[in-house]
Formats: sequence, C-alpha cells, structure tokens
Amino acid sequence: MEILSVEHLTRVFGSGEGTVRALDDVSLSIEAGEFIAIVGSSGSGKSTLLHLMGGVDRPTSGTVRLMGEDIYRRTDEQLAIFRRREVGLIYQFNNLIPILSARENITLPALLDGRAVNENRLAELADALGLDGRMNHLPSQLSGGQQQRVAIARALMNAPAVILADEPTGNLDSRNSAEVMGLLRESSERFKQTLVVITHDEDIALMADRVIAIEDGRVASDARRT
Amino acid sequence: MRMRDLVREALRALEANRGRSFLTILGIVIGIAAVIAMTSFIGGVQEGLVGQLGLNAARIARIGYSSGFTESDIKRLKLALPEYEAIEGSMDSYTELKKDDKTLNISISGGSPTYFEMTGQAAVLSGRMFTAAEDEAASRVVLLDQNGVNQLFGSPDFDAVGKTVKLKGRDYTVLGIYQGTQMSMGSGTYLQVLMPLQTVKRDFANGGNRIFDLTGLAREGVDINELAKRTTEKIATMKRVPEDEVESSVWVFTMKQAIDQMNQFMGSFSLIISSVAGISLLVGGIGIMNMMLTNVTERIREIGVRRALGATRRDITLQFLAESAVICVAGGIIGTVFGYIISGGLALGASSLGISQGFGGGENFSISPAINVETILLAVGISMAIGLLFGFYPARRAARLDPVECLRYQ
Repeated sequence: MEILSVEHLTRVFGSGEGTVRALDDVSLSIEAGEFIAIVGSSGSGKSTLLHLMGGVDRPTSGTVRLMGEDIYRRTDEQLAIFRRREVGLIYQFNNLIPILSARENITLPALLDGRAVNENRLAELADALGLDGRMNHLPSQLSGGQQQRVAIARALMNAPAVILADEPTGNLDSRNSAEVMGLLRESSERFKQTLVVITHDEDIALMADRVIAIEDGRVASDARRT
Repeated sequence: MRMRDLVREALRALEANRGRSFLTILGIVIGIAAVIAMTSFIGGVQEGLVGQLGLNAARIARIGYSSGFTESDIKRLKLALPEYEAIEGSMDSYTELKKDDKTLNISISGGSPTYFEMTGQAAVLSGRMFTAAEDEAASRVVLLDQNGVNQLFGSPDFDAVGKTVKLKGRDYTVLGIYQGTQMSMGSGTYLQVLMPLQTVKRDFANGGNRIFDLTGLAREGVDINELAKRTTEKIATMKRVPEDEVESSVWVFTMKQAIDQMNQFMGSFSLIISSVAGISLLVGGIGIMNMMLTNVTERIREIGVRRALGATRRDITLQFLAESAVICVAGGIIGTVFGYIISGGLALGASSLGISQGFGGGENFSISPAINVETILLAVGISMAIGLLFGFYPARRAARLDPVECLRYQ
C-alpha cells in the first residue's frame, strides 16, 4: 500500500543569477513499512527532498501526498500540526533543545499540541531505547549516542506513520551508529512505520529495503534489495 | 503550548544565561525601584500626615483678623456660621525661666480643652487635661511634655503631676504630661507648655483681651473652602473692613489648602522621579530587546528544530515573548523589593533629620513607607508591559525565520 508519494517535485532557491534548482522534477512512491535509504553527494538535494516530504518546506512545484492527501494544500498552521502528529523527524546533530531535559525534548510535540503526555508510551520508549535513568538529564549531560536515542524517542513518541531521518548517525562512531540504526529499524518494524533515512554510510544503505540515489536534484537510481 | 509550559521554558532559557539576564534587567530594576520608592515614600508621607493631623485635619480652618476678636465677636461668628461644629480661640505667649545656671525659653500655648482636642494635641500620657470649668475659671494649671519634665525636674521619668512650676513669680500646678513634639524633644532649653486660654489671657497677654487666632472645625460634609470664603466675608462685614483691606487684614486658612499644597509639591516630586524611572525603563527595555535579539541569533538552530517538530510561528513568537516578559517581571519584582528598601531608607533619613516637619508634619510625625498591593501590581504590570513591548520585535523576527534556513545554521 502506498503511503507517501512525491510527484514532479521541484524546489528552486533564490532568484536571478543566484538561482539554485535543488530538486528537479522528482517523482517517487513509498510503500507502508518500507525502509528506504536516500544516498547522494553533498548538495545533491537529499535534505531538500526530506524536508519537503516532512512538510518543513514548501515546493516550488509538484506535490507530496501522504495517504493520498496533498500535504501542501494545508495552511502553515495546519502543516505545523501535520509535523507534530504525522511525521517523525530526526537530524544529524543538535537535534535537541539544549535547555530542556531528555523527557521534555521527547514530549515537546505533545506540549506544543497542548496535550497530556502519554506516560505509558514514554516509559515504553525509554525502556526500548535504553534511556531509563536519563530522562531528567539535559542534552549536554548525555553522550552523542544517547542524544540521538532521545531524538529517536521523540520521533516515535506520537507513533507517526513515517519517520524521516537526515543522517541520524552522521555524528556517531561505528559502534553507536550500528546501535542507533538497529534501534530505529527495530522500532519501525515493531510499530509498522515507514522509515526514510538519508545516509552517506554504505552499511546503513545495505540494511535498507530500497536505496534511492539523488544526483543534481534528480533521482539517479532507485533499487530494491532483492 | 500551555501557559504553564511556556513560563517554565522561559525560566529555563533565562537560567541558562544567568549572568546576561541579570545584567540586562538592571535597567528595569532601577526603573521599578524608583517608581516603588517614590510611590511608597509619598504614600507614607501622606498617610503620616493624615495620622498626625487627625481625621479632622481636612475640616479645620485657621481664622485670623489683624485687630483681633473679642469674646462677643466669637459668639456672633458661631451664630452666623452654624456650619462650624466649634470655633475656638487660642493664644500663644512666651516667657523665660531661670533654672540653675540656665535660661529656659518657654512657649505657652493657650486654648480650651476643645481646641487642643480639635488640633490633636490632647494626647495625655499621665495626669489629665484641664476641664472647661478650669479654663473658665482661669485656673493656674499647666501641662508639660517629657522634655519639659526633664528640664524642670531633672529626669524625663519624674512624676511631675501635682508639682508646681513657677512662671513670672506665680505657681502653676502640673495637671498632666502630654505627648510632646519632636521639635521640643530635640532641643534642650526650649519648652512648650499647654495652659487654659483664660489663664494665658489673664497672666501673659499684657493686659490685652483680644484673641488673634481662632480655629474652626467644620461639620462633616461641609465644603471647607467654601466655608472659609464665607467666613472671610462674615468677618469683613462684622468688623466693617473696607473692601480693599480685606485681603491684608482677614485671613482664613484651611488645612485642606495645606494638604492640596503638599499634594502639589508631591506631584512635582513625582514628576521628577517618574522621569528618572521612565528613562531608566526605556533604557532597560532597549537592553531587553538587545538581549532577546542576541538570544534569537544564538538559538537559530533551536528555532529550526522547534519549527520542524511542529511549532507554529505563533508558538515561536509566544516563546520569546514569554522569555522577555518573565525576565522583565523578575526585574520588576527585584526592583519592587529594592524600592521598598530605598523608601524605608528615605523615610528613616527624613524622620531622623526632622525633614518630615518640612512636609507639614508637626508633633511626632514619622514616615513609614506605604506598601500596597496596587503599587506592586502596577510595578509588575509595567515590567510585563515593557517585556511584551520590547520583546515583540525580536520574537516576531524569530518567528519569521525560514525553518529550512534555521536547520542549515550550524
């Protein structure tokens, strides 16, 4: 079942001589529960694609559909609510709000929504991600691996259908990298979530069901693991 | 986001930059301290005055005529102006008394018991006030204050009631000890004594029988200034004073006018302090704006993450506004505390230097700073308004940032 589709997506930054075409007529379709690795060189347009799929940016043209609905038909306010509730975003570094504890970082989307925190879900995630006893620590009191696990917990907290991660292990050593990816993979399988990961790491790409290569804002290849 | 969460996050953000936050709020602290010090000091002076002059103060009129009044003039005035509850004459005199090798200067205040009651001088610490009958009979009785007892009998605690004091060769029995003035308490050889009016008239007025000072107590609800005007007219008619001489020979002075004058003085004083406070708050506000702009720049990445996680522009605006409001309110609270401390210092200084007398205070006038909830709420309100006003631009700037640009920022 298709969960996310991108059709003729184009994103142009700047104007005049400084125009940059970061994405150029990209189309792809993602099935529910798929683990997709997006690879490509720096400046190829991977992060722009991820932002557009997560409703963080707006395309110059084209559509992004989540479960058939064009998310960019929404107002800015509705799009913000979409980001809170329907996708989970993870970045490479400085993912966390430095003044908030691990617990507060994880529950931030719920707080933004003015909703009560689902304590059972929080305890389940803290346990699954090995964050027990670290929940009241500030990000500066956590290791790099622990910080990324907090970011993962935050992305999973609302049980979104799609998790979008932009080089989630880029800052970590290989041991932590493998651990974080293992956790991401495990939880996405457990909660039947679609996982889209931008990576430079070949090992991660090899773990994915499907690898999409982006070059100069276009899809250069799209290969499913057989 | 709920208000509680907003404020908690704002406090965290400010705590993370404690030093900077503290320096930034100094302007607000100084401004609010000035406002509080001023309002509570002025309030204290006013409360002190009302306490000192008694609740009657606003109903009192001091009446004078250059040629003086006879007893029958006073009776006629009372009949003609029933709006007065009482009109009482008083007479001040002066004499000296040799005591050991010192010369004591004695100021004698003569009046009826009602007069001393009306003017708030009737508080007797021991013994009693003389009676109306003793006044009528021109009894040789006197009331001393503690300084007087000290000067005449060698100790302020001496039980002087029943003893006699010799003035101009005549003996006067001490009837009671009244609560003295700061002025008389403060100086060694100056004494103020109270006596019945008729006694002063007979023994100290050098044969003169006329009263130059009258004090009227208007009935409740009477417009005292209007009554003062009518009193002047009545005296002018009664004594056939030519129209062009009325102003120079008849005077009616109300405490209400004195209070109004003091309020006017306090108004000017307030204006000066308000200007200082205003400038300080403006500079403080600009400081807050500067700090918040720096905060926004430093936290661009955080703003990006928040936006990506689903914070709307409004959420970001509220977040930074909450920070500037919280920091200003903190400054306001610190300023309020400092303001009361300064006001306490001012009151202490004014009282101990006797400056309070200059505010119209007489006997036992001391200032204690007035603390009221309205002033505190006003201070907190002003600081919050400054926080919101000067925090708005940085907050809007943060909210307008492009989330994608913010996320690229390292």
